[in-house]
Amino acid sequence: MDMQISQASKSDKDARAVAPSNAMSRDQLILQLTAVAGPAYLQPGLRILTDYVGAAYYLLARCDLIQESGLDFVVSSDWPFDLVRRLASELTSGYGRAGELEKSMSLFQPNFAYLPDNVDLPEGVSRHYCALTFNVGRTRFSLMLLARDSLLLSPERLRDAGLLAGYFASFSRGMQGKLERDFDLTERELECLFWIAEGKTSDEIAMILGISRNTINNYITSVMRKTATKTRSEAIAFAVRNNLV
Amino acid sequence: MRYQPDRTTDTPGQTKLTRSHRISGRSDLFPKLVSMQKLIDAQNFVVYRINGSGLPSKQRLVCELENWGSANPVMNKAFIEAYGEAMIEHIEKSLLPLMWNGRDSDSTAETPDFAAFTQRLKPHLLPFAGVAFPVRLGSVGNGYIVFTAKFMDLASDMIVELHGRSCQIMMELLSLDERRSPAAEALSEREIACLQLAGDGRISEEIAEKLGLSVHTVNAYLGSATIKLDSVNRIQAIAKAIRFGYIS
Repeated sequence: MDMQISQASKSDKDARAVAPSNAMSRDQLILQLTAVAGPAYLQPGLRILTDYVGAAYYLLARCDLIQESGLDFVVSSDWPFDLVRRLASELTSGYGRAGELEKSMSLFQPNFAYLPDNVDLPEGVSRHYCALTFNVGRTRFSLMLLARDSLLLSPERLRDAGLLAGYFASFSRGMQGKLERDFDLTERELECLFWIAEGKTSDEIAMILGISRNTINNYITSVMRKTATKTRSEAIAFAVRNNLV
Repeated sequence: MRYQPDRTTDTPGQTKLTRSHRISGRSDLFPKLVSMQKLIDAQNFVVYRINGSGLPSKQRLVCELENWGSANPVMNKAFIEAYGEAMIEHIEKSLLPLMWNGRDSDSTAETPDFAAFTQRLKPHLLPFAGVAFPVRLGSVGNGYIVFTAKFMDLASDMIVELHGRSCQIMMELLSLDERRSPAAEALSEREIACLQLAGDGRISEEIAEKLGLSVHTVNAYLGSATIKLDSVNRIQAIAKAIRFGYIS
């Protein structure tokens, strides 16, 4: 029984992987996507985009939750679960090292790299995979694609796919009211952080916001507690890295 | 975000934004914008950037490039009054293109086959219709590329094409700015190391111990880095250094 299922799913995957990448035009793509446009349809949308570029499996992840452990940063994926779990930490640690400007300048640019030799991949899938990033509001996402032969993926199609994946991600984000990325900081605390990042002292911020210096210092202490940072410098670094200011 | 093994790929299929492709000035962007405008039969284009990376309430749209000509001050003011706030709010949470209808009933912006992927701004506020493509690059360089016309009917294909090109233009605009700030070359390795550790929450004493320097030297490095980054104190210097990618 088990074997039948795995065989069935294998042939299913084979079928989608061999679909020629030039089969779908942009117009056809959009026609298909329009049918599933909406907050509830992230997965079908990503599936269609994956087919459009000629890849086999997708993984959509948030790049901004890398401090957190676990797999929370994975938004949606049809990679085999074991592969996601095995690679989760490695996939994200490399990204954190690049500078913000470099990250900004590489949006929608496909990046190719190799998965380690010792991970098991679905049959027929190349170790050479593709990743590209895009922003939706303050959240940065990475779309990672496994393909039979990643050299066949066209950069233009990948760019379209990144943009349209961003459209889909916009739907689901619109659903959430408050930005979850604010780490439960209050409006006042964020305001203080903003001014500190601009080089203002507590006294100056007190003047700007018209509240006492001690209150400002309390806000900052509270920010440091909530963000688990030890110094003001670290708190600001945290805020800048997470696009809070 | 990607796995970075020891061996990196060097296959011919690799595409990357290489520095050699860079344009030399803002004037190089004009022909690109004009050709985008022509693709959709628009009358004008405008490039807006959002200044300040702080709270939405502190931000505003700044016109960077346009071909409104002599009508610019009037048009710009009317546009920002009508949609500035809504656009700043939108880019905080969404990548979907914005469209709006003009004041007259026949001044409309339509995209019958792509309506599901666009959002509408309040109609009838301006003498023209249009479309605005949000581009959010990160902590700096965010904004919109806007095309206006009496009437526009956009094919889905065009929207995807123009939005992709809009992203490219905003990146090029940012790369031009980056070249104007020479701090990167000027910061020494030691200064960068001190900034990095300070941003990681180390106090001067800890940085000194880690780098085998005296506390005074560390403070001197942080001080000189602050000056080079045109900042008033080390906290602002750290914020700038992260935004511009000198430290992580």
